[in-house]
Amino acid sequence: MKQERPKKFGMVIDLDKCTGCGACLVACMSENNVPFKPDESDKLTSITWMRVYQLNNGKPYPETDICYLPRPCQHCEGDHGHSPCVSVCPATATDYGMETGIVSQIYTRCFGCRYCMAACPYHARYFNWWDPVWPDGMEKYLNPSVSVRMRGVVEKCSFCYHRYQTAKDKAIYQFAEGERDSTDLEEDEYQTACTQACPAGAIIFGDLNNPSHRVHQIAQPDEKHAGRPKNPKAFRLLERLGTNPKVYYLSSRDWVRRAGDNYLEGEGKLKRH
Amino acid sequence: MSTVDEHEKDMPSEDSGGKGPPPPDPEQKNKATAYVIFFFFVGLIASLIVGWIIFPQLLYSQKEQPIDFNHALHNELVGDCASCHYFREDGTFSGVPDLWSCIDCHMDVQGEDPEEEKFVTEYVWEDREVPWLIYSKQPDCVFFSHAAHVLSGGMDCVTCHGHIGESEHSKVYQENRITGYSRDIWGRNISGFKRNSWDRMKMDDCADCHEEARDSATKDEPRAPVGRVIDNIIRVAFPGTYADNRGGSVQTQRGACFKCHK
Amino acid sequence: MKVGRRSFLSFIIGGAAGTALSPLPWKLTDDLSIWTQMWPWTPVPKDGAVSYAGSTCTLCPAGCGINVRMVDRRAVKIEGMEGHPINDGGICILGLSGLQLLYGPTRVKSPMKRAGNRGSGRWVSISWEEALEEVAGKLTEIRAQGRPEALAVFSGKRRGTVPALLSRFMTAFGSPNFVTAASTQDSYELALHRMQGVQAAAGLDLANTDFLLSFGSGILDGWGSPVRMFKAHSALKDGGGKLVQIEPRLSNTAAKADQWISIQPGTEAALAFGLAHVIILEKRYRTQFVSEYGGEFEEFRQMVMADYTPDKVAKITGIDPKTIVTLAREFSRSSAPLAVCGKGGGDTPGSMNEFFAVHALNALVGGINRPGGIWAVPEPGDFGWPDPEMDETAARGMQQDRLDGAGAPPYVATAALPNRFFEAVAGGKGYPLDALFVVESNPCFTEPDPETVKAAFSKIPFVVSFSSFMDETAQNADLILPNHVYLERYEDVPNPAGFNRPFVGLVQPVVDPQFNTRNVGDAVIALAQGVGDPVASAFGWDGYEACLEEAYPDQWDSLTSEGYWMAEDFDPAPWPEAFETASGKFEFVPEGLQRGYVPAEIAGEKGGFPLVLTPYDTMRISSGYVGNPPFMTKTVPAEVLKGKELLVELNPQTADQLGFSEGGRAVLTTPTGAANVRVHLYDGIMPGLVAMARGLGHTAYDKYLADKGTNVNRLIGPTADPVSGLNAAWGIRAKLTRA
Repeated sequence: MKQERPKKFGMVIDLDKCTGCGACLVACMSENNVPFKPDESDKLTSITWMRVYQLNNGKPYPETDICYLPRPCQHCEGDHGHSPCVSVCPATATDYGMETGIVSQIYTRCFGCRYCMAACPYHARYFNWWDPVWPDGMEKYLNPSVSVRMRGVVEKCSFCYHRYQTAKDKAIYQFAEGERDSTDLEEDEYQTACTQACPAGAIIFGDLNNPSHRVHQIAQPDEKHAGRPKNPKAFRLLERLGTNPKVYYLSSRDWVRRAGDNYLEGEGKLKRH
Repeated sequence: MSTVDEHEKDMPSEDSGGKGPPPPDPEQKNKATAYVIFFFFVGLIASLIVGWIIFPQLLYSQKEQPIDFNHALHNELVGDCASCHYFREDGTFSGVPDLWSCIDCHMDVQGEDPEEEKFVTEYVWEDREVPWLIYSKQPDCVFFSHAAHVLSGGMDCVTCHGHIGESEHSKVYQENRITGYSRDIWGRNISGFKRNSWDRMKMDDCADCHEEARDSATKDEPRAPVGRVIDNIIRVAFPGTYADNRGGSVQTQRGACFKCHK
Repeated sequence: MKVGRRSFLSFIIGGAAGTALSPLPWKLTDDLSIWTQMWPWTPVPKDGAVSYAGSTCTLCPAGCGINVRMVDRRAVKIEGMEGHPINDGGICILGLSGLQLLYGPTRVKSPMKRAGNRGSGRWVSISWEEALEEVAGKLTEIRAQGRPEALAVFSGKRRGTVPALLSRFMTAFGSPNFVTAASTQDSYELALHRMQGVQAAAGLDLANTDFLLSFGSGILDGWGSPVRMFKAHSALKDGGGKLVQIEPRLSNTAAKADQWISIQPGTEAALAFGLAHVIILEKRYRTQFVSEYGGEFEEFRQMVMADYTPDKVAKITGIDPKTIVTLAREFSRSSAPLAVCGKGGGDTPGSMNEFFAVHALNALVGGINRPGGIWAVPEPGDFGWPDPEMDETAARGMQQDRLDGAGAPPYVATAALPNRFFEAVAGGKGYPLDALFVVESNPCFTEPDPETVKAAFSKIPFVVSFSSFMDETAQNADLILPNHVYLERYEDVPNPAGFNRPFVGLVQPVVDPQFNTRNVGDAVIALAQGVGDPVASAFGWDGYEACLEEAYPDQWDSLTSEGYWMAEDFDPAPWPEAFETASGKFEFVPEGLQRGYVPAEIAGEKGGFPLVLTPYDTMRISSGYVGNPPFMTKTVPAEVLKGKELLVELNPQTADQLGFSEGGRAVLTTPTGAANVRVHLYDGIMPGLVAMARGLGHTAYDKYLADKGTNVNRLIGPTADPVSGLNAAWGIRAKLTRA
């Protein structure tokens, strides 16, 4: 079988469409066996692979404006895969996959030092301070495609990697049965749970390397400048850190785009090339 | 606490023995040395027995399968493994057949075998799944794609599962009391060495095969297993030592971890 | 032989050497490390064959199609159904959490009979036979006394075969007291009834709308059919359409809208008149419609022109006159404008004055039964069942007045008045009730002023709940006959909220019943048979499933194959045939609009209560019959719920005046009640308002939901609308004092 071209799975989230409804959070929790506790109001210990932040323009009534920003793991490529978390893991428990561009987390390898959490500028990683407990009977809905995490390990968004594996298996089977020409996946065959669920259609997922995929067309990543978006409405979070994330955001509002990074006081409007 | 009292107790016994220790008797000395050597071997052999024979006995529980299944007979009737252990249409592997797959032939008792009768009366008629014990059950953190190995890789069942298809009786299922793994995953040979490719199914064994496959694909000289082990240690401990970034992983320069882990 | 010290040491060394040469330490180390990676108490989900089962969600009135992912016989994930006319693959946060309800710990696992005092939480499990026998016995007794009207039913739904069975049961039994919960949909129906003379549901042709003007409707906060609204909003964004949100708080809808216009709450009708003024003044209305089908348009014109100039409206609403003029122009200039009302999530029916005013605005721009406008969608039929036979007892009972006064002057056109029902029972008005059935609803939590509901309960000696969950109402019942959860049962979902075509969704079981529960439909049929003739003869079906199939003879094939039935080629009645009023025209000035804008009053006086409390709805909190599943509670921001304390929103300026800082503890007092809260400073709310999330403050359910926050319904009593009699309270006067 011929070697497949490396993929770079990424996301475009349209903040003009996102309503902050939280469906992506629950789609993710339900898909990925994320547990819950009686009190989840301490957001520092509340595990939500996908998290929706509320941004505001800081102006008083009635000029106030708010915007919701869903934040999955940004799956930073950094410099050739040396994303902030991967480069610090002493246990080889987190890894950057060159074939997919997905940052993995192997729970059974993780020994819970939380160095990666300190390294991640997006707070996308969560630590299991307690063993997960489901009320009696509720463990029936657990998804066998994703293993349940135990106390003492770090977990995070995987871009629903198991869905990639499942789709791959199906493609291999269909190829073997002569039902398709190759085992390459179509755009809609591998979609994350949040993308699928989003009632506003605000999340788009696909291969940033593939010009026929919507994510590529919308974000227009500039490979010469570490994937910086050419679409003037698009931005990435904390782009100036050089993390080279694979989640792009769209907004028509200036203040929202500017909220995506830190600027010095008085620093002029950032010119985009 | 002071130990003066104890010393006082010791003193008289030493006094009664005369002035100092007696000159060593050569015969006595030889005897003592023999004793020492003897006890060394007693300890050695005893611990070897414990370690090699008793420990494995204690480590593994012995469980009988609910039904003594005759693979050889079925294989003869249906022809191949895939008739019962098939791929589903979504590319997943069905593994151990469920009751539904058996009902076609076993709606009623067909033969004389008491095991079959037990199967039909206790399970088929009761609509109860057989709680088979799965010899090759991998832990939950493992994602193993049968499709990738069998359909794409063209591997046959025997490579990993051995000649189970020729067995006439279900062998005893041995479960590791600590880890809960089947002994067939690791432990059939307690020393860890394997004679056949199907003797162990641990991560190292996956890696062995994948390394070989990769080496042969890139026409590198196949390396001895020991050399590979050392190589691996270097790769993991000092990433970047080898310039060849042939794998998908930044950490290990090999296959990305998510490929086989979930 | 004497074993000396040296020999012993030698033995140990030998043993150590032997051990090191044996697999024992190495294997043990490895096994132990594996053990630490996979604690035996960490659940391992069982693998199996994956399949999908289609059904319809019933957790809100939206009627979304769902696909449930099954692993063998377990349901592991609920996803939206691709290609479904309502949600096309999308799904809301509550729909996604459905499995936590199915497998959750708050389910009632078998029929239960109260053992201690009411509400003491002591129950004994009984069999279905015992339970049905007990209820049937009670019902027979009531009939034997000749006062069948002493039985009442409170149902969360009014449409579909289950409410129809309940209603039929009541008719055959002889009680007029079939009461259903009310919502914005009821107000819309009434508006269509009064202004167009039709008995129809309001359908929104969102696919063709290019300007959506929302008078406080939470388009993106759960109003109507949430997923459909979300998709419509995204389509507006893609197609260059516009959404304008009018409300005093920067809700999610307001934040996403192209324009947010803050308004003095309760004055929305005045703004609608102000817009009408500009539209008429500048002759921007649809002339053909107004001249040919506009009934009493001249009256309307005079009223609007005289009293609702932009300046006058600005004084009432607090909106800049220029904004009003611009908005009116933009609205009327669009090719398919649509104005909607009904505040927040649409759970409160609201002021008819406002509904009439907004509906008149739609008529003015020619949006009635037109592409992109508001359509009259015929109500589903009566399922073709022959009228039940009534004996003398039943006939006499049916002649009694309804306790809630619905259908009688002055509320002739209203189907049911839940707020007045509980007030009447609690206040001992009319005749006493001997028994109450509560079906698919939780009035002890969701109705305004639940204390009145509980007081009403205390006057009724026999309360039967059919709830699947141990909610507040079930807790206060004498007997629980638990319904299947929607994933275990058959049911129909006709006319989903705001959908613009005749539509029926089919709920189908995707898993076997998890517990000893029964479909309410089956339970009602069994009860009818238990009561005996003539009630039994009206229920000749073998069971609910047969009854359901018989109710949709022409649609059944489509229902079972597609999961829904839709009148694909439905077109709303064209204008010449659309209006069945006395004049045959659209009534611009129905009764209730003759005096122009009438402020929607709220309880309390300004002196003692300087602030105004308004509830708000959010997608992340389920405020209806179904309590918040743990997943949803997990997504509630820390600015809304912190630990067990609820935070209310307050403008920083107001907070400053009152001396509150972020997180400050306060007592929120209204004429109806008081609650301990904390304060969250929010710039996006009008000074002088206090906003509080609806749906928290459960006392029932599990540790993931109970005792968190406060139930806002407890603080806001109902206000009867003068036209419909339905609850029109959009808020209440309040004060906030430091705790």
